[in-house]
Amino acid sequence: MAALVLTMGCATMGVGSHVQTGLNVAQYHTYDWGQADALPAGDPRLDEDPFFKDHILGAVEKQMAAKGFERAEVDGHPDLLIHYHAAINRRLEVNRTDQEYGYCADEECRARVFEYEAGTLVLDIVDANTNRVIWRGWAQDTIEGVLEDQDRMSRKIDEAVRLMLARFPRPL
Amino acid sequence: MNPSRRLAGLAALGASVLMLGACAPLTVHSFTARGTNFATYRTYGWADDASRATGDPRLDNNPFFQTRIQTDTDRQLTTLGFEKVASAPDLLVHYHASVTQKLDIGAADQAYACDDCPGPSMYDAGTILLDIVDARTNKLIWRGWAETNMDGVVNNQASLEQRIDEAIAKIVATIPGRL
Repeated sequence: MAALVLTMGCATMGVGSHVQTGLNVAQYHTYDWGQADALPAGDPRLDEDPFFKDHILGAVEKQMAAKGFERAEVDGHPDLLIHYHAAINRRLEVNRTDQEYGYCADEECRARVFEYEAGTLVLDIVDANTNRVIWRGWAQDTIEGVLEDQDRMSRKIDEAVRLMLARFPRPL
Repeated sequence: MNPSRRLAGLAALGASVLMLGACAPLTVHSFTARGTNFATYRTYGWADDASRATGDPRLDNNPFFQTRIQTDTDRQLTTLGFEKVASAPDLLVHYHASVTQKLDIGAADQAYACDDCPGPSMYDAGTILLDIVDARTNKLIWRGWAETNMDGVVNNQASLEQRIDEAIAKIVATIPGRL
């Protein structure tokens, strides 16, 4: 059991991104939040959690500022619109760590199957003039014990946003 | 359900997906409606599909993913001599993509356990499916699909594009009577 908990605790965050071919980020300077997206909402535990939303907005704004983008003024005309979407999926994992590291014998070595909840945070960055998505980034990780713990949720969101926006090209 | 019973149930389920195991390459299948003669069709258009849910939040409403599938399909159909038209096409093309977590049973169904055999593991199985409908009769005349292991593929744009390219080329190549 200790090994299983260890494995879950160390599960690394999966991060990826897709980008428009030939994208020139230097043309963009300002951004704002897009309208709430029309994608399936994902999970009611997140939808009804204002802390979750506020924290994502804060984390993204911080990373965008660090990259040199400015939040557009009210009624301004931002170059970019940012949308976010969160989803939670139930997933299965087969754990064989014990056997692979020789910590077990015979019956004890049987593979264990467990179910966990994987959270995915997706950011879409849209060219406000063409209304086309120029970049999509995401981060995925287990969210066991995260939803009910605001400190852990904060850290997860910060890490997710930092890692995925690190993949967004710098304009400078 | 206790873990071992759950595992047994999964193992039984797993037997049916054994053919799609973790190291399996891309597999392609298709069927053609009886009496279909592709030589009688010349033009096609994309059908308006309202739903693009894939089961994978990274791919839902992902324009890069959707565009790659459509441009690849356009290229392959053009190579076969079909022409894309804006109105009144002979054929309507639909696509659907999904990702589902599946169990690779490994060597767990062997009578004797061995130390080096691969154990059971989960993987993401991806399916891309193309449907071709006769626009006049509104009947499905052909369906082709490809299945592949998607582990680590979606997170890498180049890998995903390569996998889509291969899948679409192989699916479209199964359209009969055009080669």
